[in-house]
Amino acid sequence: MTPNGAFTLGFVLIALGMGVPGPRGVAVLVALTLAFALIEVRGASVIALKRAAVVVLPLAVFMGVVWVGIVGESPYQIASESAGTRAAALAYVATLCGRLFFIVAVVQLVFLRFAKLTPMQIIRALALPATVKRVLVITLSLIGTLRHAVDRAHIALIAAGTLTRAPSWRNVLHSWRLVQAVWLSAVTIMVGRMRDKWPVENTIARLDDTLANDNPAWFAGDDRIWLPISLGAAVVILVADRIGEAL
Amino acid sequence: MFTTPRLIVIALGAALNCSIGTIVYLLKLPVFLDSIGTILVALLLAPDRLAAFMCSWAAGWIGLAVSGLINPFLPWFAVTDVAISAIAALLVVGAAKTFRDRALNSPPFIGQVLLCGIMIGIVSAVVSVPVVVYLFGGVTGSGSALVVAVFLKAGQHLMSAAMLSGLASDPPDKVLQVLIAALLYRATPGEFIAMLRTKEPEPAR
Repeated sequence: MTPNGAFTLGFVLIALGMGVPGPRGVAVLVALTLAFALIEVRGASVIALKRAAVVVLPLAVFMGVVWVGIVGESPYQIASESAGTRAAALAYVATLCGRLFFIVAVVQLVFLRFAKLTPMQIIRALALPATVKRVLVITLSLIGTLRHAVDRAHIALIAAGTLTRAPSWRNVLHSWRLVQAVWLSAVTIMVGRMRDKWPVENTIARLDDTLANDNPAWFAGDDRIWLPISLGAAVVILVADRIGEAL
Repeated sequence: MFTTPRLIVIALGAALNCSIGTIVYLLKLPVFLDSIGTILVALLLAPDRLAAFMCSWAAGWIGLAVSGLINPFLPWFAVTDVAISAIAALLVVGAAKTFRDRALNSPPFIGQVLLCGIMIGIVSAVVSVPVVVYLFGGVTGSGSALVVAVFLKAGQHLMSAAMLSGLASDPPDKVLQVLIAALLYRATPGEFIAMLRTKEPEPAR
Protein backbone atom coordinates (compact mmCIF):
# COMPACT_ATOMS: atom_id res chain seq x y z
CA MET A 1 0.00 0.00 0.00
CA THR A 2 1.29 3.49 -0.84
CA PRO A 3 1.03 6.56 1.46
CA ASN A 4 -1.34 8.09 -1.14
CA GLY A 5 -3.64 5.08 -0.86
CA ALA A 6 -3.51 5.00 2.94
CA PHE A 7 -4.22 8.73 3.28
CA THR A 8 -7.11 8.50 0.79
CA LEU A 9 -8.56 5.53 2.66
CA GLY A 10 -8.18 7.42 5.96
CA PHE A 11 -9.96 10.43 4.47
CA VAL A 12 -12.85 8.25 3.24
CA LEU A 13 -13.19 6.55 6.64
CA ILE A 14 -13.20 9.87 8.53
CA ALA A 15 -15.70 11.43 6.11
CA LEU A 16 -18.01 8.42 6.57
CA GLY A 17 -17.57 8.61 10.35
CA MET A 18 -18.57 12.29 10.37
CA GLY A 19 -21.60 11.48 8.21
CA VAL A 20 -23.41 10.18 11.33
CA PRO A 21 -24.31 6.72 9.98
CA GLY A 22 -26.97 4.58 11.67
CA PRO A 23 -26.26 1.32 13.52
CA ARG A 24 -25.82 -0.77 10.35
CA GLY A 25 -23.57 1.86 8.79
CA VAL A 26 -21.47 2.05 11.95
CA ALA A 27 -21.09 -1.75 11.91
CA VAL A 28 -19.83 -1.70 8.29
CA LEU A 29 -17.52 1.25 9.04
CA VAL A 30 -16.00 -0.39 12.12
CA ALA A 31 -15.60 -3.69 10.24
CA LEU A 32 -13.75 -1.95 7.39
CA THR A 33 -11.49 -0.05 9.81
CA LEU A 34 -10.74 -3.22 11.78
CA ALA A 35 -9.88 -5.04 8.54
CA PHE A 36 -7.45 -2.23 7.63
CA ALA A 37 -5.94 -2.32 11.12
CA LEU A 38 -5.51 -6.10 11.23
CA ILE A 39 -4.27 -6.59 7.67
CA GLU A 40 -2.15 -3.48 7.10
CA VAL A 41 -1.11 -2.21 10.54
CA ARG A 42 -1.24 -5.46 12.58
CA GLY A 43 0.34 -5.29 16.10
CA ALA A 44 0.87 -1.54 15.96
CA SER A 45 -2.93 -1.10 15.95
CA VAL A 46 -2.82 -1.37 19.75
CA ILE A 47 -0.51 1.67 19.83
CA ALA A 48 -2.99 3.58 17.66
CA LEU A 49 -5.84 2.75 20.05
CA LYS A 50 -3.76 3.76 23.09
CA ARG A 51 -2.82 7.10 21.49
CA ALA A 52 -6.43 7.76 20.55
CA ALA A 53 -7.47 7.03 24.15
CA VAL A 54 -4.80 9.43 25.48
CA VAL A 55 -6.13 12.21 23.22
CA VAL A 56 -9.86 11.64 23.75
CA LEU A 57 -10.01 10.64 27.45
CA PRO A 58 -9.23 14.11 28.91
CA LEU A 59 -11.65 15.58 26.38
CA ALA A 60 -14.36 13.13 27.48
CA VAL A 61 -13.82 14.05 31.14
CA PHE A 62 -14.05 17.78 30.35
CA MET A 63 -17.17 17.41 28.19
CA GLY A 64 -18.71 15.13 30.82
CA VAL A 65 -18.19 17.78 33.51
CA VAL A 66 -19.65 20.56 31.32
CA TRP A 67 -22.61 18.77 29.72
CA VAL A 68 -23.57 16.07 32.21
CA GLY A 69 -22.50 17.97 35.33
CA ILE A 70 -23.32 21.63 34.57
CA VAL A 71 -25.90 21.64 31.75
CA GLY A 72 -27.53 18.30 32.65
CA GLU A 73 -29.29 17.79 29.31
CA SER A 74 -28.35 17.00 25.73
CA PRO A 75 -28.18 19.76 23.07
CA TYR A 76 -31.07 18.15 21.15
CA GLN A 77 -33.30 18.19 24.20
CA ILE A 78 -32.48 21.85 24.67
CA ALA A 79 -33.19 22.54 20.99
CA SER A 80 -36.56 20.75 21.12
CA GLU A 81 -37.39 22.35 24.50
CA SER A 82 -38.23 18.91 25.92
CA ALA A 83 -37.42 17.83 29.49
CA GLY A 84 -33.69 17.17 29.72
CA THR A 85 -31.97 14.28 31.47
CA ARG A 86 -28.38 13.70 32.50
CA ALA A 87 -28.55 10.23 30.91
CA ALA A 88 -29.32 11.80 27.51
CA ALA A 89 -26.47 14.27 28.00
CA LEU A 90 -24.13 11.40 28.87
CA ALA A 91 -25.28 9.47 25.79
CA TYR A 92 -24.63 12.50 23.58
CA VAL A 93 -21.14 13.10 25.02
CA ALA A 94 -20.34 9.37 24.68
CA THR A 95 -21.45 9.35 21.02
CA LEU A 96 -19.39 12.43 20.23
CA CYS A 97 -16.33 11.08 22.04
CA GLY A 98 -16.74 7.75 20.23
CA ARG A 99 -16.72 9.57 16.91
CA LEU A 100 -13.64 11.60 17.88
CA PHE A 101 -11.91 8.43 19.13
CA PHE A 102 -12.61 6.83 15.75
CA ILE A 103 -11.14 9.82 13.87
CA VAL A 104 -7.96 9.96 15.98
CA ALA A 105 -7.54 6.18 15.76
CA VAL A 106 -7.85 6.23 11.95
CA VAL A 107 -5.25 9.02 11.68
CA GLN A 108 -2.88 7.07 13.94
CA LEU A 109 -3.46 3.83 12.00
CA VAL A 110 -2.59 5.56 8.72
CA PHE A 111 0.64 6.99 10.16
CA LEU A 112 1.59 3.72 11.90
CA ARG A 113 1.11 1.85 8.62
CA PHE A 114 4.33 3.61 7.55
CA ALA A 115 6.13 3.52 10.89
CA LYS A 116 9.22 2.06 9.22
CA LEU A 117 9.52 4.97 6.79
CA THR A 118 11.12 8.28 7.76
CA PRO A 119 8.91 11.40 7.46
CA MET A 120 11.05 12.42 4.47
CA GLN A 121 10.31 9.11 2.71
CA ILE A 122 6.57 9.46 3.36
CA ILE A 123 6.54 13.01 1.99
CA ARG A 124 8.56 11.89 -1.03
CA ALA A 125 6.03 9.15 -1.80
CA LEU A 126 3.01 11.47 -1.58
CA ALA A 127 1.50 12.75 -4.84
CA LEU A 128 1.75 16.43 -3.93
CA PRO A 129 3.13 19.50 -5.74
CA ALA A 130 6.85 20.13 -5.13
CA THR A 131 6.09 23.36 -3.21
CA VAL A 132 3.80 21.56 -0.76
CA LYS A 133 6.41 18.85 -0.22
CA ARG A 134 9.05 21.51 0.36
CA VAL A 135 6.96 23.36 2.96
CA LEU A 136 6.17 20.09 4.75
CA VAL A 137 9.86 19.20 5.00
CA ILE A 138 10.76 22.72 6.16
CA THR A 139 7.97 22.56 8.79
CA LEU A 140 9.33 19.26 10.11
CA SER A 141 12.86 20.64 10.11
CA LEU A 142 11.63 23.72 12.00
CA ILE A 143 10.24 21.61 14.84
CA GLY A 144 13.79 20.69 15.84
CA THR A 145 14.94 24.30 15.38
CA LEU A 146 12.10 25.56 17.56
CA ARG A 147 12.94 23.07 20.33
CA HIS A 148 16.49 24.43 20.41
CA ALA A 149 15.16 27.99 20.29
CA VAL A 150 12.84 27.32 23.26
CA ASP A 151 15.72 25.82 25.31
CA ARG A 152 18.02 28.71 24.47
CA ALA A 153 15.47 31.47 25.14
CA HIS A 154 14.24 29.82 28.35
CA ILE A 155 17.76 29.52 29.80
CA ALA A 156 18.66 33.06 28.72
CA LEU A 157 15.56 34.52 30.39
CA ILE A 158 16.23 32.54 33.59
CA ALA A 159 19.83 33.80 33.58
CA ALA A 160 18.58 37.36 33.11
CA GLY A 161 16.24 36.96 36.10
CA THR A 162 13.12 37.45 33.97
CA LEU A 163 11.80 33.90 34.46
CA THR A 164 12.22 31.36 37.26
CA ARG A 165 12.86 27.63 37.05
CA ALA A 166 9.94 26.77 39.36
CA PRO A 167 6.33 27.65 38.46
CA SER A 168 5.61 31.25 39.49
CA TRP A 169 3.45 34.27 38.73
CA ARG A 170 6.56 35.92 37.31
CA ASN A 171 6.61 33.20 34.63
CA VAL A 172 2.94 33.86 33.80
CA LEU A 173 3.56 37.61 33.64
CA HIS A 174 6.63 37.34 31.41
CA SER A 175 5.60 34.34 29.28
CA TRP A 176 5.07 36.63 26.27
CA ARG A 177 8.77 37.58 26.49
CA LEU A 178 9.59 33.88 26.11
CA VAL A 179 7.34 33.70 23.02
CA GLN A 180 9.06 36.79 21.60
CA ALA A 181 12.55 35.45 22.37
CA VAL A 182 11.73 32.06 20.78
CA TRP A 183 10.34 33.81 17.69
CA LEU A 184 13.43 36.02 17.38
CA SER A 185 15.78 33.08 17.90
CA ALA A 186 13.97 30.97 15.26
CA VAL A 187 13.84 33.86 12.77
CA THR A 188 17.54 34.70 13.14
CA ILE A 189 18.49 31.03 12.76
CA MET A 190 16.43 30.80 9.56
CA VAL A 191 17.84 34.07 8.21
CA GLY A 192 21.35 32.70 8.76
CA ARG A 193 20.48 29.50 6.94
CA MET A 194 18.83 31.25 3.98
CA ARG A 195 21.53 33.91 3.62
CA ASP A 196 24.70 31.86 4.26
CA LYS A 197 24.26 28.13 4.69
CA TRP A 198 21.74 27.05 2.07
CA PRO A 199 23.21 28.94 -0.93
CA VAL A 200 26.67 27.49 -0.22
CA GLU A 201 25.32 23.95 0.15
CA ASN A 202 22.72 24.37 -2.63
CA THR A 203 20.24 22.90 -0.16
CA ILE A 204 16.96 23.82 -1.85
CA ALA A 205 17.87 22.35 -5.26
CA ARG A 206 19.15 19.18 -3.58
CA LEU A 207 15.99 18.98 -1.47
CA ASP A 208 13.79 19.24 -4.57
CA ASP A 209 15.80 16.48 -6.24
CA THR A 210 15.43 14.28 -3.16
CA LEU A 211 11.69 14.89 -2.94
CA ALA A 212 11.02 14.27 -6.64
CA ASN A 213 9.03 11.04 -6.88
CA ASP A 214 10.17 8.87 -9.79
CA ASN A 215 6.96 6.83 -9.69
CA PRO A 216 4.21 8.92 -11.36
CA ALA A 217 1.35 6.53 -10.41
CA TRP A 218 -0.79 7.91 -7.58
CA PHE A 219 -2.02 4.52 -6.44
CA ALA A 220 -0.32 1.16 -6.73
CA GLY A 221 -0.25 -2.35 -5.21
CA ASP A 222 -2.84 -2.95 -2.49
CA ASP A 223 -4.33 0.53 -3.04
CA ARG A 224 -6.17 -1.02 -5.97
CA ILE A 225 -7.89 -3.41 -3.57
CA TRP A 226 -8.49 -1.13 -0.58
CA LEU A 227 -9.85 1.90 -2.43
CA PRO A 228 -12.59 0.07 -4.40
CA ILE A 229 -13.54 -1.79 -1.20
CA SER A 230 -13.76 1.48 0.75
CA LEU A 231 -15.85 3.14 -1.96
CA GLY A 232 -18.15 0.09 -2.07
CA ALA A 233 -18.41 0.19 1.73
CA ALA A 234 -19.24 3.90 1.53
CA VAL A 235 -22.22 3.14 -0.72
CA VAL A 236 -23.33 0.34 1.61
CA ILE A 237 -22.99 2.64 4.67
CA LEU A 238 -24.99 5.39 2.97
CA VAL A 239 -27.87 3.11 1.95
CA ALA A 240 -27.82 0.38 4.65
CA ASP A 241 -29.82 2.24 7.26
CA ARG A 242 -32.24 3.75 4.75
CA ILE A 243 -33.08 0.26 3.42
CA GLY A 244 -33.37 -0.96 7.02
CA GLU A 245 -35.82 1.84 7.84
CA ALA A 246 -37.82 1.19 4.67
CA LEU A 247 -38.17 -2.51 5.58
CA MET B 1 4.39 33.59 -4.87
CA PHE B 2 5.84 30.84 -2.66
CA THR B 3 9.54 31.74 -2.45
CA THR B 4 11.77 29.91 0.04
CA PRO B 5 11.59 32.70 2.68
CA ARG B 6 7.79 32.69 2.33
CA LEU B 7 7.67 28.90 2.74
CA ILE B 8 9.73 29.33 5.89
CA VAL B 9 7.41 32.01 7.25
CA ILE B 10 4.44 29.72 6.51
CA ALA B 11 6.11 26.94 8.48
CA LEU B 12 6.97 29.33 11.33
CA GLY B 13 3.39 30.63 11.42
CA ALA B 14 2.02 27.07 11.47
CA ALA B 15 4.40 26.14 14.29
CA LEU B 16 3.33 29.21 16.27
CA ASN B 17 -0.37 28.37 15.79
CA CYS B 18 0.22 24.78 16.91
CA SER B 19 2.40 25.45 19.93
CA ILE B 20 0.40 28.26 21.57
CA GLY B 21 -3.00 26.92 20.45
CA THR B 22 -2.28 23.44 21.82
CA ILE B 23 -1.09 24.76 25.21
CA VAL B 24 -4.27 26.87 25.55
CA TYR B 25 -6.47 23.94 24.46
CA LEU B 26 -4.89 21.58 26.99
CA LEU B 27 -5.30 24.18 29.77
CA LYS B 28 -9.00 24.63 28.78
CA LEU B 29 -8.79 28.41 28.92
CA PRO B 30 -11.86 30.24 27.52
CA VAL B 31 -9.74 31.64 24.66
CA PHE B 32 -8.18 29.97 21.59
CA LEU B 33 -4.93 31.82 20.70
CA ASP B 34 -4.55 29.44 17.75
CA SER B 35 -4.32 32.00 14.93
CA ILE B 36 -1.42 34.19 16.08
CA GLY B 37 0.82 32.66 13.39
CA THR B 38 -1.86 33.20 10.71
CA ILE B 39 -2.18 36.91 11.57
CA LEU B 40 1.58 37.36 11.93
CA VAL B 41 2.24 35.83 8.49
CA ALA B 42 -0.20 38.33 6.94
CA LEU B 43 1.56 41.20 8.73
CA LEU B 44 5.01 40.06 7.60
CA LEU B 45 3.90 40.00 3.96
CA ALA B 46 2.37 43.50 4.01
CA PRO B 47 1.65 45.35 1.75
CA ASP B 48 1.14 42.47 -0.75
CA ARG B 49 -2.43 41.47 0.18
CA LEU B 50 -2.66 38.47 -2.18
CA ALA B 51 0.59 36.97 -0.86
CA ALA B 52 -0.54 37.76 2.69
CA PHE B 53 -3.84 35.91 2.13
CA MET B 54 -2.32 32.88 0.40
CA CYS B 55 0.56 32.45 2.85
CA SER B 56 -1.49 33.03 6.00
CA TRP B 57 -4.12 30.60 4.69
CA ALA B 58 -1.41 28.00 4.08
CA ALA B 59 0.05 28.59 7.56
CA GLY B 60 -3.42 28.26 9.07
CA TRP B 61 -4.21 24.99 7.34
CA ILE B 62 -0.82 23.38 8.01
CA GLY B 63 -1.25 24.41 11.65
CA LEU B 64 -4.72 22.83 11.68
CA ALA B 65 -3.42 19.58 10.19
CA VAL B 66 -0.66 19.28 12.79
CA SER B 67 -2.78 20.47 15.76
CA GLY B 68 -5.51 18.05 14.67
CA LEU B 69 -3.35 15.21 15.99
CA ILE B 70 -3.93 16.58 19.53
CA ASN B 71 -7.21 18.46 19.13
CA PRO B 72 -9.56 16.44 16.87
CA PHE B 73 -12.12 19.31 16.82
CA LEU B 74 -9.78 21.76 15.16
CA PRO B 75 -9.61 20.54 11.50
CA TRP B 76 -13.39 21.04 11.17
CA PHE B 77 -12.87 24.78 11.61
CA ALA B 78 -10.81 25.02 8.42
CA VAL B 79 -13.25 27.52 6.88
CA THR B 80 -12.84 29.80 9.92
CA ASP B 81 -9.13 29.91 9.19
CA VAL B 82 -9.82 30.96 5.59
CA ALA B 83 -12.02 33.79 6.93
CA ILE B 84 -9.35 34.87 9.42
CA SER B 85 -6.73 34.88 6.64
CA ALA B 86 -9.02 36.96 4.41
CA ILE B 87 -9.74 39.57 7.11
CA ALA B 88 -6.07 39.62 8.10
CA ALA B 89 -5.08 40.27 4.47
CA LEU B 90 -7.75 42.95 4.02
CA LEU B 91 -7.57 44.71 7.36
CA VAL B 92 -4.48 43.79 9.41
CA VAL B 93 -2.11 44.27 6.46
CA GLY B 94 -3.27 47.89 6.31
CA ALA B 95 -2.24 48.36 9.93
CA ALA B 96 1.27 46.92 9.44
CA LYS B 97 2.97 50.33 9.28
CA THR B 98 1.25 51.48 12.48
CA PHE B 99 2.17 48.26 14.27
CA ARG B 100 5.80 48.61 13.22
CA ASP B 101 6.43 52.33 13.69
CA ARG B 102 4.07 53.70 16.36
CA ALA B 103 4.62 53.46 20.13
CA LEU B 104 2.73 50.70 21.93
CA ASN B 105 0.68 53.15 23.98
CA SER B 106 -0.15 55.49 21.10
CA PRO B 107 -3.87 55.81 20.21
CA PRO B 108 -3.40 54.63 16.56
CA PHE B 109 -1.64 51.43 17.73
CA ILE B 110 -4.26 50.65 20.37
CA GLY B 111 -7.09 51.60 18.00
CA GLN B 112 -5.83 49.38 15.18
CA VAL B 113 -5.30 46.42 17.53
CA LEU B 114 -8.86 46.78 18.84
CA LEU B 115 -10.42 47.32 15.39
CA CYS B 116 -8.60 44.40 13.72
CA GLY B 117 -9.16 42.08 16.69
CA ILE B 118 -12.87 42.84 17.02
CA MET B 119 -13.48 42.48 13.27
CA ILE B 120 -11.62 39.17 13.07
CA GLY B 121 -13.43 38.02 16.21
CA ILE B 122 -16.91 38.80 14.88
CA VAL B 123 -16.23 37.18 11.50
CA SER B 124 -14.68 34.05 13.00
CA ALA B 125 -17.56 33.72 15.50
CA VAL B 126 -20.17 33.94 12.74
CA VAL B 127 -18.31 31.47 10.49
CA SER B 128 -17.68 29.00 13.34
CA VAL B 129 -21.23 28.82 14.71
CA PRO B 130 -22.67 26.46 12.03
CA VAL B 131 -19.77 24.03 12.63
CA VAL B 132 -20.24 24.19 16.41
CA VAL B 133 -24.01 23.69 16.18
CA TYR B 134 -24.59 21.35 13.24
CA LEU B 135 -21.45 19.21 13.44
CA PHE B 136 -20.98 19.00 17.22
CA GLY B 137 -24.38 20.03 18.61
CA GLY B 138 -22.74 22.89 20.52
CA VAL B 139 -20.39 20.50 22.30
CA THR B 140 -16.70 21.24 21.73
CA GLY B 141 -13.62 20.49 23.78
CA SER B 142 -12.35 24.05 24.21
CA GLY B 143 -12.85 26.25 27.25
CA SER B 144 -15.50 28.27 25.37
CA ALA B 145 -17.83 25.24 25.75
CA LEU B 146 -18.26 26.48 29.32
CA VAL B 147 -19.60 29.77 27.97
CA VAL B 148 -22.08 27.88 25.71
CA ALA B 149 -23.17 25.90 28.77
CA VAL B 150 -23.74 29.10 30.76
CA PHE B 151 -25.90 30.63 27.99
CA LEU B 152 -27.90 27.39 27.65
CA LYS B 153 -28.54 27.34 31.39
CA ALA B 154 -29.69 30.95 31.09
CA GLY B 155 -32.45 29.76 28.75
CA GLN B 156 -30.94 30.50 25.33
CA HIS B 157 -31.53 28.23 22.31
CA LEU B 158 -28.58 26.19 21.05
CA MET B 159 -27.94 28.35 17.98
CA SER B 160 -28.15 31.63 19.89
CA ALA B 161 -26.11 30.20 22.79
CA ALA B 162 -23.33 29.17 20.38
CA MET B 163 -23.53 32.56 18.62
CA LEU B 164 -23.50 34.54 21.88
CA SER B 165 -20.66 32.38 23.18
CA GLY B 166 -18.71 33.07 20.00
CA LEU B 167 -19.41 36.79 20.12
CA ALA B 168 -18.49 36.92 23.81
CA SER B 169 -15.26 34.97 23.61
CA ASP B 170 -13.98 35.50 20.04
CA PRO B 171 -13.45 39.31 19.89
CA PRO B 172 -11.41 39.51 23.16
CA ASP B 173 -9.46 36.43 22.07
CA LYS B 174 -8.71 37.90 18.64
CA VAL B 175 -7.76 41.31 20.10
CA LEU B 176 -5.21 39.44 22.24
CA GLN B 177 -4.01 37.49 19.19
CA VAL B 178 -3.61 40.65 17.07
CA LEU B 179 -1.71 42.31 19.95
CA ILE B 180 0.71 39.35 20.29
CA ALA B 181 1.14 39.19 16.50
CA ALA B 182 1.86 42.93 16.42
CA LEU B 183 4.44 42.58 19.21
CA LEU B 184 6.16 39.75 17.36
CA TYR B 185 6.01 41.76 14.12
CA ARG B 186 7.73 44.71 15.81
CA ALA B 187 10.47 42.38 17.06
CA THR B 188 11.11 40.74 13.67
CA PRO B 189 14.42 41.82 12.08
CA GLY B 190 14.05 44.07 9.03
CA GLU B 191 16.40 41.80 7.09
CA PHE B 192 13.92 38.93 7.35
CA ILE B 193 11.00 41.11 6.22
CA ALA B 194 13.08 42.34 3.25
CA MET B 195 13.78 38.70 2.29
CA LEU B 196 10.03 38.02 2.23
CA ARG B 197 9.38 40.90 -0.14
CA THR B 198 12.08 40.18 -2.74
CA LYS B 199 11.83 37.71 -5.59
CA GLU B 200 13.94 34.60 -5.23
CA PRO B 201 16.59 33.73 -7.85
CA GLU B 202 16.30 30.25 -9.36
CA PRO B 203 18.47 27.78 -7.41
CA ALA B 204 21.60 26.54 -9.20
CA ARG B 205 21.39 22.95 -10.43
